[in-house]
Formats: sequence, structure tokens, C-alpha cells
Amino acid sequence: MKLIFSYVRRHLAMFLTAVFFLSIETFAELLQPAFMARIVDDGVANKSISQILFYGAIMLGIASLGAVGAVMRNLYASRTSQLISKELRGDLYRKVQTLSFENIDRLSPASIITRITNDVTQIQNFVNGIMRIMMKVPIICVGSVALIIIQTPKQFPIMAAILIIAAILILGNMKLGYPRFGILQKQLDRLNDVSREFLSSIRVVKAFRAETEEEKKFTAAASAFASAGISATRVLAVFSPLINLTVNLGIVLLLWISQAQDASQIGRLMASVNYMTQVLFALGMVSNILNNAVRAAASSSRVQEILDEEPAQKFPARPVAFEARGEISFQDVTFTYFGSARPALEHITFTARAGETIGIIGPTGSGKTSLVNLVPRFYDATKGCVCMDGHDVTQIDPNVLRQSIAVVPQKALLFSGTIADNLRWGNPNAAEEEILEASRIACADSFISQFPEGYHTNLGQGGVNLSGGQKQRLSIARALLRRPNILILDDCTSALDASTEASVLRGLREHASHITVLLISQRISTVMRADHILCLENGNLKGFGSHEELMRSCAPYQAIYASQIGGDIHGNEPSFSN
Amino acid sequence: MAMSHLSQTNGPAGSPGAPAPSGPMRRGAPVVKPKDMKGTLRRLWELTKGHRKGLTWMLLLSALASVSAMLSPLIIGNAVNAIDAGNPAVWILLLLLALYLTDWLVRFLQQFFMASIGQHIILHIRKTLFSSMEKLPLAFFDKRQHGELMSRLTNDVDNISTTISDSLSQLMIYGFTILGVFFIMLYENVILTGVALISVFLVLILTKTITRHTRTLFKEQQKILGQLNGQVEESISGLSMVKAYCRESMMIEEFEENNENFRAVATRALIWSGYLMPITNVINNLGYVAIAVVSGVMAAQGMISVGLISSFLLYSKQFTRPFVDIANIYNNFQTAVAGAERIFEVLDEQPEPADKPDALPLPHPRGHIRFSHVSFGYEPDQLVLKDINLEIPAGTKVAIVGHTGSGKTTFINLLTRFYDVTDGSIELDGHDLRDYKMADLRNAFGVVLQDTALFDIPIRDNISYGKTNVSMDAIVKAAMTADADSFIQRQPNGYQTVLTKGGSTLSQGERQLLTIARAVLTDAPILILDEATSSVDTMTEQKIRRAMLSITKGRTSFIIAHRLSTIRDSDLIVLMENGAIKERGTHDELMRQNGTYAQMYRTQMGMES
Repeated sequence: MKLIFSYVRRHLAMFLTAVFFLSIETFAELLQPAFMARIVDDGVANKSISQILFYGAIMLGIASLGAVGAVMRNLYASRTSQLISKELRGDLYRKVQTLSFENIDRLSPASIITRITNDVTQIQNFVNGIMRIMMKVPIICVGSVALIIIQTPKQFPIMAAILIIAAILILGNMKLGYPRFGILQKQLDRLNDVSREFLSSIRVVKAFRAETEEEKKFTAAASAFASAGISATRVLAVFSPLINLTVNLGIVLLLWISQAQDASQIGRLMASVNYMTQVLFALGMVSNILNNAVRAAASSSRVQEILDEEPAQKFPARPVAFEARGEISFQDVTFTYFGSARPALEHITFTARAGETIGIIGPTGSGKTSLVNLVPRFYDATKGCVCMDGHDVTQIDPNVLRQSIAVVPQKALLFSGTIADNLRWGNPNAAEEEILEASRIACADSFISQFPEGYHTNLGQGGVNLSGGQKQRLSIARALLRRPNILILDDCTSALDASTEASVLRGLREHASHITVLLISQRISTVMRADHILCLENGNLKGFGSHEELMRSCAPYQAIYASQIGGDIHGNEPSFSN
Repeated sequence: MAMSHLSQTNGPAGSPGAPAPSGPMRRGAPVVKPKDMKGTLRRLWELTKGHRKGLTWMLLLSALASVSAMLSPLIIGNAVNAIDAGNPAVWILLLLLALYLTDWLVRFLQQFFMASIGQHIILHIRKTLFSSMEKLPLAFFDKRQHGELMSRLTNDVDNISTTISDSLSQLMIYGFTILGVFFIMLYENVILTGVALISVFLVLILTKTITRHTRTLFKEQQKILGQLNGQVEESISGLSMVKAYCRESMMIEEFEENNENFRAVATRALIWSGYLMPITNVINNLGYVAIAVVSGVMAAQGMISVGLISSFLLYSKQFTRPFVDIANIYNNFQTAVAGAERIFEVLDEQPEPADKPDALPLPHPRGHIRFSHVSFGYEPDQLVLKDINLEIPAGTKVAIVGHTGSGKTTFINLLTRFYDVTDGSIELDGHDLRDYKMADLRNAFGVVLQDTALFDIPIRDNISYGKTNVSMDAIVKAAMTADADSFIQRQPNGYQTVLTKGGSTLSQGERQLLTIARAVLTDAPILILDEATSSVDTMTEQKIRRAMLSITKGRTSFIIAHRLSTIRDSDLIVLMENGAIKERGTHDELMRQNGTYAQMYRTQMGMES
């Protein structure tokens, strides 16, 4: 909630203008019965049609003023709330761009996306609501009561009593209702989780005939949600009729007391009754407000969580002057993921000289990707030092650092836009020929040129209209266009068939002779020809050397070799799927 | 009627363009029209049979509640007249008091009991929907997005109760109020009724004009919102590349452009839809002025009493308000009925075929399987398997190999009857699969699937998934057979460790071993291993292979594998190509044949020059 108000404060002038016009609108509404009272008391009582028309004209004027207020209020409220939601969305987005992967992992990308989209919309609704209903309710209530008291001062004690009782009831409603609606929201999340789990495991559910088990789980979640719903709704069911009754009793009391009164005030009495019904209408919106407030508060705390997130990495205030050559060295590097008990990498030390190709091999979960992620500072080493050309990477301007590195990840990530746009990610100013050359090396040109629109083919979101192998080849071409000093290839040829893979690797060897390459693979045949091979197991460095050296000295490497190539003749075992 | 409108779900992030729920704030938002309103409502009525105890009472109470709204202005008018004339109004006021007290009681009872009636109806519909969804064949789930099915289980069901019952009772009350008030007014004074009607017409015309305008604006807003959300989703799930390529500032620029576009359209849409309420209010105020002036003049000329002015002023407000709301409520109502239609769509789906009346039990399956002339297509005109003939004696170890899309997984879908053959038949121990009881048939298979579906429950329960009353010993033994015991022991609470996020804290290999342990525990005579080793490294693969070797002993087993090295020692290797069996035999036989298999094997082993 604090968050919402801090954004409102930024546009306080606009917000207050909206509230100002809202007040005009509301007061115009409130003044009508007062002048109606004059029509009755002055006009009807004196049988003076001119008086009636005179006050009628005033009422008309007030109604027009109200119309102006309403239109202006709507303009300002709509603009303000949409502006606030735009800024909030923008701030969130920019914030996320500054976060480190550790933060992103912790928050989970899916949840970040929902917060930027749904939660901000929720807040926008709420802010708009403040300027429409929420401020109107108190204005109507206080205004009505004040007008009743001004016109008929004798009613003051009754009005005070009714106001106090209604306030107590509303407070009680909030106090009991707020937490219950909170629980309801939680149960709804739970129900969603259970449904999601069921739907994504449907094959297993059927194969193991776990239908009853799943049904039990779902029924439990649905029942809990239903109970939470009943309990939350019942609070409203108790309070809102009571609030109604309080105001209605006020009307009866008003009339009761007026029995003894002078008949010349009959118009004012009628106005008072009118005011009471307006109060009633306004209070009827309380439950609506409550409901909205609960959702907005939940959304706002989810959004706040992102804004409060401290980037897990610090960037140097005065970075060292740095010209990349391509030497990488790890000095006793240990790295643990946030929230994990076990280090992903332990005491890793090795050096890759500029221009060398380093193969990295090891079982899944042995720390291969974690290791290369430390080089462009996707994560920072927990202990020890990752150095480039003798500088600790944490001392280098991250933009300069990343400028010299190109990463081809396991899962090729492409973006909407044309193929050429995607390739130019690596180098916005790349010339046509450069793009063609990089695509040829990555064996992508052949399929790109088959598309009717060639390099200008539009990709859907995430490149949905390409096959896995095609995406991987584009992703490699994109990296090459960057002309990096260091190229990181993270098992990025897994979806290519053997002969394509071989020719991509061959192209890389020729083209990238001056580039330092970190080449991760599951297949021994892929890394065999590297200058040095890192063999990892459980985050530990088991061997570092050439193929021949490791075959002599490194047991885990020998085991991998045996499992892949075994008793067969030399060679490799790439998968043939495509 | 103040029921919860908690329709916002934290649904899947995968549906960025999904229309936002049309709450009370979104007047004029696009309305999804139901296809068959009458039929759907009738079916809803039938569906809730036995679960709407008291619903009729509730609707009756709603009607009663509107009586107070109709009568109170009349009584107040009488009281005003009495006071005006200087007469005591004690009896009239006592009547008013009684009316208000009844109103309170009625409202309280109605809302209090409606809360549980409504929720019970929701619960019933939700349970019905879930259990019939569960019985649907796999084809249903394969064809649809999970996020969309989820919103049927949550949003659509909620809307039925909250919106349909809410708006139904509201519509009833409003209809009743409008008619009642109209006749009372007509009875009291025709001229003033005419004045009141003018503002109603003005409001109706206004509503129509504005909604026509907002409809297109909301459509445009929805489109740009889809773009904006798409961009957010893409750039955040691809953040590693954004950072690696230092594209942060460009992404922000692109985002800001979308963000600003959206703001512009959304503001316009909001402004237009926002006009409806205040301008209606203004028209109401004008109507109020008109009645005040006209009735004032009439009273001054002695044509009517002062009390009547009072009654009409109160009535005029009551009379127009429902007209404003009705259009909106009706839109919500339509949207909710359309949601109900989506639910009925699921209920109407053909469930997995029921067991034949004389279905055979399968107490001790041996595992002899025969495919005769089996053809199958997910779409009737696109056959994935064509005329497959295959005889598999009990205890045979069968490997199915072939390129992606050659029909390997389809084999398994047919064996487990996730799908049924289009043509031909599959027999188990001499009888067609379709002649057995489904439960018994599925019991005969132990399955390890590509997707390692693990649940957020303790490890032991994950292993015994689908079975009840399994002893701890049996679970540990299964885990040992699957070579999973050692890593389970290393977990913080051993077998009691509760997995989170589908077991994402475990490595892929560990997850796979758990699912193998699960299959071991079923002790089924037929085993199916669908690419169980595709995404693990070769070391873990060896481990899994060892586990597989020990569990396939004496069982008929089907192994689908990417890597040909894993299936060399099978009794029978079936090579699929384009939905047909291209080659079959043992590894050595196929190598001697020197056909596609031999070539594939050599490519994989890197023996080709």
C-alpha cells in the first residue's frame, strides 16, 4: 500500500485535481436536496411558482457544474491512474533488467512476468477506484451528515450516534474481512497450483491410475477454497445489512423527532431523508472497496518485493581500463548457488591462454554450465577469483566485459523480429556480407535461404516457428557476428545431426582460430580435439589436460570415454535425433 | 448479494493476451456472447440438481428484499404528509420501522445462507468438472493449453456461481423493482411518472452510444496489451541473452515504446468507459431537478400533496439506477454463461471408453503381445502408424528406434491405451486390449516416461504414487533396484524429504531414477521406458541402464532410445520409419543386413569416414 501512495505522491497535483473535481461532482449531487427543500419550504408553502422556478434554475446550474466536475474528474482520474501504472510497469521492468541471475532465480521468471502484467493492472484499477469511489464515499457521508445538521441542528445527536455506529460497523467489517479475503486469495493460489500440477502430469496420473489420489488432492484444495469463500462472504453478510439497518433506523428517528416540529420545515425534513438514502448508497460500496483493497494490497506487496530486491552483484564504481585479449584464469574458485547447501563448483583452478579451445566435459550436474556462467559474470564466484587478462572480472565494467564475450546457451533463445534482427543482436551494425558469412559458418544459411523471405523472415515469439536445430544454428551465427574474444558454447549442438554438427565445429575451428573457446559437451568426440579439456565431476576439477593426457591420468575421463566409445573403435557417438 | 468477485488468478504466465476479467470497473469491456443461453441455463439447472437446497428460498428472499425498496418511499411520503398536516405519524413510523427490520432480517438471511449455498454449488460443479476431466482421454489434454484448462477449473467455475447467481438475483430484484415502482408511480401520479421516464430514456441512449465507442477501444487495448505482455515475457525469460549481449538499454527502449502505446490507448478506453457513470448521474440529477420543479409547481397549485413530492423524489432515484446497472449486469451475465459453456464443453467430451459389460479381468498378465495390422493416426486422415504387424513373446526385451516423428512414442500410447488403434488390433495374452478392464490393463504396465512427473509430496509418496498401503521396506527396495537409494539417503530428510517445484532441486538423472523406482514398485509384468535416458549424461545413463537391466529381467519390456548403444543387447530391435517397420531383428542381425540401422549405428559411433 505504501508503494501505491508513493506513486500517487509523484502525481499529487493531478491526483488532487481529480479529487477536487470529484468533490465538485459530489457536492453538486449533495446540494440538490438542499435546494429541493427550498422549493418545498419557500415555493410550495407560499404557492410561489416563481420561487420554485428560481430554485429549479439554481439546481439546474448546480447540476451542470456537477457535469463539468464529473467529466473533468474522469479525465484526470483516468490519466493519472494509467500514468501511474505505466511508470510502475516501467520501473519494474528497468529494475528487473538490473537484477542479477541470482535474484531472477529466486523470484522465478514466470512470477516476475505476472507481477509486471497482472499485478500492475490490479494496482491501476485500485488507484482509479480511489479517485472514483473511495474518495466519494467519505465525501458523501460527511457532506450529507453535515448538511443535515446545518439544516436541522436538532438532529445533531442522532446523526452523531448513527455516524459512530456506522463507523464502528465498517471498521469491524474491515478488521474481520481483510484477513479473510487474504486467506481466500491464498487458497485460490493453492487451487491453481494443484490444477497446474495435475494437468502437467496427466500422463503419469493415468499410467499409474492415480486418479483417486489426484481427485482427493483437488477436492481438498477446492473445499478449502470454498470454506475460505464462505467465511469471507459471511463477514460481509453480517455487516452490510447491519450498516443498512443503522442508516434506515436513522431515517425513522429523523421522522420521529420531526413529528413535534414545525410544519414549515417539511422540505428540510424531506431533504434529510434524501441525504440518508445517499449515505446508504455510499456505504453499500464499502464491501466493494474492501475487496479491491485486499487485492491491491496483495499486488502491491508482490510488486514491492521486486523493487526492494537488492541486485546480488555489485559493479565496480571505477572499473579498470581493460582491453580484452582472451586469457581466462580461474584461481581457486568456489561457487554456491543461493539457497543451496552444496557448492556447485569447488576449488577450481586453471588457465586458458588467449586463442585456446578448452573442452569441458562431465556428467549432468557436474558444474559445466555454472563454470562458464562465471566468466561473463552471470553469477559471481563465492570464493576465489575469476580473471580475464589478469584482471578480476568483478573489477571490469560489465558492459566492456560482456562486449568481448559471446555466449551460445544450451537452449537457443530467440526473440520476435526478423532473422536478421536476431542475428544483429551480436552486432547491430553488421553488414549484409558479415551476416551471410556467420550464417554459413553456423550452417544456417542453407535453411534461411529456403524461406520465402530469407533473412527477413519474421520469427514468432521466442522463435516458435523454427525447429530446435535451426534455432541452435541461428544462435551460433548470432554469437559469431559479435566477433568476440571469448566464445562460450554450452552444449549448443545437441539438436543437430552428426554431419551438420561436424561441419559447424569444423567451421568454428577455422574461423575462430584466434578466439578463446570454452566448449561444453556431453560427448567426448566433440571435445577430444580441444587444446585442453576440463573434466568435472560433482563440481570438482578431476582433470585438466589434452585428450591423451587425460586418457592416461584421469579416471573419470576414462570412464566417460569407456561409456561412450567403449570397446568400439575410436569415434564419437552423437545422437541422431533432429 | 455481496459475494466475492475474486476472479483474478495467478494463472499461467503463458497466456499474456488473455482478456482481463470484466469486473464492475470495466464497463463496456468486450462481452463474450454465449452460443446458446437458454440451453446452457437449463443444463446448469440440471447440473446443480440436489445441490441447490434453499436456492429457491434465497431467490424468494431476494424478491422480498425488493419489496422494502418499493414500499419505503410510499410510507415515507405518507409520514411526511402526516407531519406536514401536523398529525401524529406514530403508526406510520412504526410500520416503517417494521419494514426496515424485516428488510434487515431478509438481507442478512439471504446473504448469510447464500454464501454457503453459492460456495457449495461451486464446489459441486468444480468437483464434477475435475472428475470428468480426469476421465478424458489423453488426446483432449494433448490438444489444449494447460493454462486455458486451468482457467476453466478456476475462473469459469467461480463466475458461474458468483456472477450467474448474483446477477440472476440482481436482475430479478431490479426487474421487480422497476415494475413495482413504475406501477406505484403510475398509480400515484401520471405526469410525474412521465417526467421520471424521460431521464430513463436519456440514460439508455447514452449507454448505447458510449458502449459502441468503448467496444472498439477495448479491443484495441487488448491487442496492444498482448504485444506488451509478449515483449515482457520474451525478454524476461530470455534475460540471460539480453545480458550476455548487453541489450538491456535496447530492451528497455522497446518496452517503453510498447508501454507508452498501451498507456495512450488504455487511457482513452478508460476515459470513455468512465463517462458512463458520472454522466448517468448527471442525467439523474437533471431528472431530480425536473421532478422537484414540476412537482413543486403542482403542489403549489394544490394538485398534489407535499408527501407525494417526497415519494417521487425517492422513487426517481430508485427507478433510474437499475436501468444503468442492468446493461452492465447483463453483460457480466453473458460472459459468465459463456464460461459455463466452456465447462459444458469439457463435460460433453467423450471420456475414455468405458469397460465393456463383459470386460475381462487381467489378474496375472504374462506379457505376450501381438500387433496385427495396426494403423493409427492422431488425426484420422494422417496415419502415424501404418499396418504394423509384430509378435512379441512374453519376456522379450524390445527396443524401438527411429528418427523423431517416426512413431516410436505412438507405440506406447497405444499399448497403454492412452489412445486406441484406428484400425487393426493389439492383443495381450490372446485378447484384444479393448476387451480388458482398463484398470487391470494399466496395472499390467510399469511406465517410465520422458517427462519425469514428480509431485510436491515426500519422496516416498512419489515412489509409491498411485498405490496405497505400500510398506516402507518395499519402497526402499524399489529405490535400491533403481539405484536411487544412495542419493535419497543424502537428502535432508531421506525418504521423507518433501520435493518442491516438481523436484527441481534434484538433477535430471536423479529425477529419472526416482521415476524408475516408481515403475519398479508397480512390479508390472510389462515395462515401458520411453527415452528414459535421453537427457542425462552418459555416466548417469550407465547407472540407469544397470537399473533397467535388473528390472527388465523376466519381463516384457519396451525401450525407446535415442542412443543406439543403450539397446544393443535387446532381444528384438524394431526400426521405425515413417510409421512403418523398416527393419527388425537383433543387433547383430541388423548389422549384418547392413541397412538403415547399421548405417545409423555407424554414424552414431563415428565409424563413418
